Amino acid sequence: MEPIGIFILAMICQVYSCAANVSDSVERAQYASVSGEEYLQDDKLVTNLNDKVFFDFDKSTLDAEDKTLLEEYLPFIKRAKIVRLEGHCDERGTREYNLALGERRALEVRDFLVIKGVSGKKIRVVSFGEEKPLKNASNEKAWSENRRVEISLY
Amino acid sequence: MKKIFFIIGFLISNNVFSILEIEILKGSDNLSKIAFVPFGVEENIKEVYGSKISKYIQENLLLFGEFENLDKAEMLSYPSSEEDFYYRDWKVLGVDYSIIGKVNSINSFGSLSISYSLFNINRRIKILEGEIVGNEDNLKGISKIISNRVYEEITGLKGIFDTKLAYVINSNSDTYQMCISDIDGKNEQILFTSSAPIMSPDWSPDRKKIAYVSFENGLAEIFIQDLSSGKRESIQALGMTNSAPVWSPDGKSIALVVSFSGNPDIFLYSIRKKRLIRLTDHYGIDTEPSWSPDSKKIIFTSDRSGSPQLYEINTQSKRKKRLTRDGNYNARGRYFPDGKSIFFVHGNNGRFQIATKKITSRYIETLTSTSLDESPTISPNGNIIIYATKNGSNGYLGGITLDGKSRFSLPLKNGSVREPAWSPLLN
Repeated sequence: MEPIGIFILAMICQVYSCAANVSDSVERAQYASVSGEEYLQDDKLVTNLNDKVFFDFDKSTLDAEDKTLLEEYLPFIKRAKIVRLEGHCDERGTREYNLALGERRALEVRDFLVIKGVSGKKIRVVSFGEEKPLKNASNEKAWSENRRVEISLY
Repeated sequence: MKKIFFIIGFLISNNVFSILEIEILKGSDNLSKIAFVPFGVEENIKEVYGSKISKYIQENLLLFGEFENLDKAEMLSYPSSEEDFYYRDWKVLGVDYSIIGKVNSINSFGSLSISYSLFNINRRIKILEGEIVGNEDNLKGISKIISNRVYEEITGLKGIFDTKLAYVINSNSDTYQMCISDIDGKNEQILFTSSAPIMSPDWSPDRKKIAYVSFENGLAEIFIQDLSSGKRESIQALGMTNSAPVWSPDGKSIALVVSFSGNPDIFLYSIRKKRLIRLTDHYGIDTEPSWSPDSKKIIFTSDRSGSPQLYEINTQSKRKKRLTRDGNYNARGRYFPDGKSIFFVHGNNGRFQIATKKITSRYIETLTSTSLDESPTISPNGNIIIYATKNGSNGYLGGITLDGKSRFSLPLKNGSVREPAWSPLLN
């Protein structure tokens, strides 16, 4: 596709997503006041639940604990307009391989959510590989916290 | 008037705060000893030109710890022509090679003619002589040319003193900079600054452009930046992730990775037609492509066997061959300039180190001794590897000569440096 086409597409997407946010935030703000468990921070929907799942080195499979966490989170995820899944890795190994691995981790979460009835259309997947560590240290504890998928709701 | 000069000086000096500087960590005991004799000057030329040229040549040749020098104070004489050169004066000082020369004036506009000679003291012969014409404001450039010729004569390898290095600086959690500098760390230029990560720089074969990955628009996207104009252009590959760009040796296409719906595969992108051609198609991760020097093959990382391993694919027949079997992590392979060996990141017992392997052999040789080593890049003459490693949370660059003569590091004064990419030679 020509660059100009992409630009127009990007503009349309931006306009569309802005519009979606405006109407949706009213609806969600009302809900937040009822449940008391979630609230809006700018456009972002923040809950008191853990919004991260963690992985083993060079692995992208979800264990029972991750699945329980995601199921607890599911009602909020279903109500969100946009679900953003951000895959991350620890610093070990190569950067480009980790970029692919982070994407695979986020997709594993997406697939689980879709099986549980979340519309795939509202899920956005992005990988940052090892580029955005949560903990900037070189030890097992930091590595295990950095191998994660972060879930953001909008 | 003074003020204007100050401003101009500031603009040219680019980034004076975060400069790479090479520190030799371990030199070998039996390095060849070179005498860099201060060049003589013709009567009407500043004497400092002669000493500057020999000093610059010395800095270049000693840059990677491959040689040692004879201290100027120990020299018995400063010959500037063959008639004044006595082998015994250098033999008694344990010198293996002597470089002498003379600076002559051509005209009153600063044009100089520099003649130089290189002597092999043990064989008692002159092994190189030459003459370069240049301007007095470019003594460093002239010295680089002489250094390359001297290096080539002594080692039989191409001189690399006019090559450059690209790298990514991460000075704090939200500042990423795409930089280039001369190979000695001087003349740093910042090509692009972003609050989002920058990855995977790669030089075009003509050294005029750099391709890299930037997250500035929220996802991994490949940009090509022209170095003279600074203009940036996105490769509109439109995947969920677009990454790992590597220029083909002829500069006409870029091997890259696109993940359209969550499955990264290798593609070839034709720069002129702006079109993608699929090269691999596998549900596993295929990434980190790099061209063989003859352009016929591409090495890549794939986890199709269950762990990341290196494969090569013929770009025409699409036939694939697995290149690594030992260890559960062999990734980001690159070919040596002769195409017969590869170097890569080898994971073993939780340590990630730079390793090499002949294509035809199974034996993997580990080159480094730290444990978070990645992104190796090789000098165009195939003799030196620079790689990224870490000390605590601080990233720095390490280097090693493949003849085992030297180890060095290129630390950054402020911030972390990563992903070195060695430029090709100037054609």
